[in-house]
Amino acid sequence: MVSSVLDSVGELSIRAEGSDVRRASAWIESACRERGVPANEIARLDVCLNEALANILSHGNTAALSAPVILYLAVHDESRASEAIVTVSDAGAAFDPLGVLPKARPKTLAEVQPGGLGLQMIRHSADSLHYRYSEGRNQLSFGVRWSGCRDA
Amino acid sequence: MAIDFDDSKDKLRRITISGRLDILGTEEIATKFSALAASAQRRVIVDLTGVTFLASIGIRAIITNAKALQQRGGRLVLFVGENASVAKTLDSTGIDDLIPMFVDAGQAEAAALA
Repeated sequence: MVSSVLDSVGELSIRAEGSDVRRASAWIESACRERGVPANEIARLDVCLNEALANILSHGNTAALSAPVILYLAVHDESRASEAIVTVSDAGAAFDPLGVLPKARPKTLAEVQPGGLGLQMIRHSADSLHYRYSEGRNQLSFGVRWSGCRDA
Repeated sequence: MAIDFDDSKDKLRRITISGRLDILGTEEIATKFSALAASAQRRVIVDLTGVTFLASIGIRAIITNAKALQQRGGRLVLFVGENASVAKTLDSTGIDDLIPMFVDAGQAEAAALA
């Protein structure tokens, strides 16, 4: 039997602006550290968070850009591993980034086209990815796992 | 976020970027980076050893400048030194297959001037 203990869930509301993306990064770092998430896993979450927020800033409609973006952090322990999950919730039009097919890697510099890089980085950094549209909001969750118990 | 350059070696410009190359950081240096990369020297090393975080927007800025320089017959290479975090990010995106990346300063210089 696998036991699972849900830790306290952190929450932060930010504006869809570049300066607040940095505030979100600072928050995720301190909130994860308080909960004993290892530095390498915090760095992976930071990559995913930056790219998810960059996607909202670049492609979000007026609703996405004018309403607060809400961030949730949950950390839980299982018998032999722990997991930290961040959910980014925005009020934009429904869009499932996980439904976008990965682009073929360009073979030369001249072939490189803008776009798709952020999603590629999220896919590479996260151990789990989920998307749902609920109550008028996109909710993208990404998680990282590590073995052993947390420090805190 | 800081960006600086060094033209002390003939035909070679070294652009040094340090700090957090996220949305805000990239916006701060983008104009100066493009101006410096459009170097008359045409051979450029971008030193990323002091970059503490590299987001896709920062990578796009590097790609844009590398492409522009290549179209003018120049070459841009990346020097990451011991910065494992930045090297890992570049490796995960495959960008190091398109823009040469070096951990050794001498090799970066030789590749830029080749």
